[in-house]
Amino acid sequence: MATFFEQLINGLTIGSFYALVALGYSMVYGVMKLINFAHGDLFALGSYLGYTLLIASSSWVTVHFGLWGGMAIAMLFAFVGIGLAGVLMERIAYRPVYPAGRLSLVVSALGMSIFLQNGIMAIWGSRPQAYPAAVVPSTRFSLLGLPVTSLQVVILLLSFTLMLVIWFIVEKTTFGAAIRATALDRSTATLMGIDVRVVIFFIFALGPALGGIAGVMNGLYYRAISFNMGWTYGLKAFTATILGGIGNIPGAMIGGLLLGLMESLFAGYISGAWKDVFVFVILIAVLLWRPTGLLGEKTAEKV
Amino acid sequence: MGITENILKRVGLGVNKPSGDQPSTFWSRNRGWLLLTITGALFAAYPFLPFISDYWIDVAFFVGIYALLGLSLNIVLGEVGLFDLGHTAFYAVGAYVTAILNTTLHVPIIVLLPLSALIAAGFAFLVTSPVIHLKGDYLCIVTIGIGEIVRLTMINNPFNLTGGPNGINGIGGPNLFGLAINSSTQFYFYTWIIIGIVVFGLVRLQHSRIGRAWNYIREDETAAEASGVDVRSYKLLAFVLGAALAGIAGNIYASKQMSVSPQSFTFIESSLLFCIVLLGGLGSIPGSILGAAVVVVFPEVFRQFATYRLLFFGLALMLMMIFRPGGMWPRKREGTGLDGLGIRGLPKKDEDLIPLGKPDPAMLKPSTTAVVRGVKLPPVTVVMDEGMLLQTHGATLKFGGLTAVNNFDLNVRTGKITSLIGPNGAGKTTLFNMITGIYKPTSGQIDFLGRDITGLKPHTIISYGIARTFQNIRLFPSLTCIENIMSGPHCHARSGTWAAIMHTIGEVREERDIVATAAYRLDQVGLWKYRNELAKNLPYGKQRYLEIARALATAPHLLILDEPSSGLNDRESEDLMVLLQALVKEGFTLLLIEHDMQVVMGISDWVAVMDMGQKIAEGLPKDIYNNQRVIEAYLGKEDD
Repeated sequence: MATFFEQLINGLTIGSFYALVALGYSMVYGVMKLINFAHGDLFALGSYLGYTLLIASSSWVTVHFGLWGGMAIAMLFAFVGIGLAGVLMERIAYRPVYPAGRLSLVVSALGMSIFLQNGIMAIWGSRPQAYPAAVVPSTRFSLLGLPVTSLQVVILLLSFTLMLVIWFIVEKTTFGAAIRATALDRSTATLMGIDVRVVIFFIFALGPALGGIAGVMNGLYYRAISFNMGWTYGLKAFTATILGGIGNIPGAMIGGLLLGLMESLFAGYISGAWKDVFVFVILIAVLLWRPTGLLGEKTAEKV
Repeated sequence: MGITENILKRVGLGVNKPSGDQPSTFWSRNRGWLLLTITGALFAAYPFLPFISDYWIDVAFFVGIYALLGLSLNIVLGEVGLFDLGHTAFYAVGAYVTAILNTTLHVPIIVLLPLSALIAAGFAFLVTSPVIHLKGDYLCIVTIGIGEIVRLTMINNPFNLTGGPNGINGIGGPNLFGLAINSSTQFYFYTWIIIGIVVFGLVRLQHSRIGRAWNYIREDETAAEASGVDVRSYKLLAFVLGAALAGIAGNIYASKQMSVSPQSFTFIESSLLFCIVLLGGLGSIPGSILGAAVVVVFPEVFRQFATYRLLFFGLALMLMMIFRPGGMWPRKREGTGLDGLGIRGLPKKDEDLIPLGKPDPAMLKPSTTAVVRGVKLPPVTVVMDEGMLLQTHGATLKFGGLTAVNNFDLNVRTGKITSLIGPNGAGKTTLFNMITGIYKPTSGQIDFLGRDITGLKPHTIISYGIARTFQNIRLFPSLTCIENIMSGPHCHARSGTWAAIMHTIGEVREERDIVATAAYRLDQVGLWKYRNELAKNLPYGKQRYLEIARALATAPHLLILDEPSSGLNDRESEDLMVLLQALVKEGFTLLLIEHDMQVVMGISDWVAVMDMGQKIAEGLPKDIYNNQRVIEAYLGKEDD
């Protein structure tokens, strides 16, 4: 039972990283119909930004603001930094390519991804870096008789709060309605007086920014970070997005959490080496059963 | 008409440019052969150039490997437009089949060359057939998944077959009838000769009904299916052929490297292949080769910058898509003179071509026998009412709780014009979609020509003799007008992949018949001079005619037109009526949905009225005109 609980918490933690990254994927996809392959690399960049801030001048931030304060500042830093990076990325790599169509956008996104990945390598080196132990809270305590770390609790609470906030913005606010309208039909949205540029700016800032926070959390949780981890996370998050139904906000959250849980339970009970195979087999099975994902709407083409 | 013209000749796409007006010089007559000879000579000379070291010969070899992979992905992604980001899986299967069978059973590499192609193709068939119906991005993630599953399986070393993360070493080299291939130069020639053969086959396929069917699917899947293309089979064929080529590339790669390991088959590799196809230009054969050259050579040239070279490469990909989104060498649709379409045995002059379509009644006139060209229809099983071509009995379609069409009996008389009218949202188009097989009825039966066609696939129904047009015109926008119409006879032709590559006598004759039929129909609707223009460039009214011509080219018994006059002005509507009446004289039976009462009352022999999914009236046009229920359905009931 203790193992199960451990795997469950572990799975939820990883799942919440996936969910946050998947949210960004899904938001961008929903509005732009663009698979932003560079999204995973922005996540990695977020991880590195947080790392850099936390180790800067012998962990000045942590020393002055305490463990939790340092963490919060690092996350905020990554949030803002990656949000800016996301907006810049849209300006440089995507906006000029929109007229060329979707396939060209995919190539541009792949190019951006390669660029970011190698940019990270050029700046921080090809060897993995580690968040120093001194900046990571390590208090353990017992929750209902089961051991958890305070970091896990904070990560879970923060991710769920973020997801709820995003869900609230998209589903319950007027601006959210504008986002959804733009996603459904951009030209009609424009005619209704929605400034589509603002919507695009917002999703390209917020989507990646969430990934940036997830990047810092991932660094704090696993400590080791590497320049090419964006590929893996991007791929997993994309899988989660599709699993839940692409373009669907609750779908991305559920897809991410489900993916994390399946992964860690399969790894814990059956086989660590085959867990990713299992994930993809499940994905294919789900798509055969529901061709547009778990929460994806069935789209019937008008003939 | 040589293959070289197709690869190398860049014919301009001019409107109405007669084929005979260019001066015939030695250069223009033999341009294709000359360019091929020059290209061949350059390839042959490359390894012997003084400044080319073994290192650069190896680079050229790898360009060849990636060219093969690019060409193989180009079939799936470029020709059919399927979003395949896991193509490396098939490459890996080819490489590992070669590695495993060579190191354990000592099967010679040269035997494994076709065998890896075959096994990779079989693997592709197995894994893609359950998922081939998925759309766009969903298919994309599934292909990524297949790629990852294959790679992870190789790493996990099942049954000790794949050697785990380190892979397999000690693979032998190919031995061509006693000539062992092991030096860089030998591998260079070996690979590029194979590519030459592959390119030959691919160019032939591009200019056959197979290649066109692929393009129809890429342009508009629904329209392709409705024009008689078996979409599912052609998609599978693309994956299978693509995988076979990737398998060949895997075999060559394994024998050259003498080892294989999972690191060579990552997702990054798949995305590079994707970039190769788009850098070169979708569906472009020389483009894929050029794309491969860029992707392989670029990082080599920037090798001195070590850590920055991939950074530059990523940047270059973005810049490329910004400044040349169509790719470096995009495929141009052939035009100017029908020889540009790659069909032999056609008359040189246009005027001679159009009548050529005429004398072959089987291609043009609706057939009254059970055999329509190549397709053998099943025997007559259903007894239909006298004089009826099509009858629906209680046709019903429910979408969830909504009954779109309710218990509808439609009767279409042979050789007459039947109109189906009714207010918007009455369910008319839905009924058409049931007849043509796009929707499967919830209940009821549809009989056509003495056969129960309920629930058959659209491409099957069209081969029985029902053709249609769409309410919102669905053409193949980036193909030329004549290519659009050539989709019509597709369903009556039989030539397969092999016949297309070999240009068998039957295939050549069939291709000629297809062009002749298309030319005849194009001329009939007055669009002959636009034959080489892309369909999307035509004005709206002409697009409608093009769509009608495409339907006619299937030689249907029954032609179903969904609001043919919508968007046409009065004069155009009158022209349309004249054309429709001429078609009836030619022997076609027509079924229309129409809102323009002038058209309906002017030409219909019989009118059925639909409201809220039900038939509310049926009769001669003049009776319908005065029918109280019909007037109420259109104008509403007077309450008081």
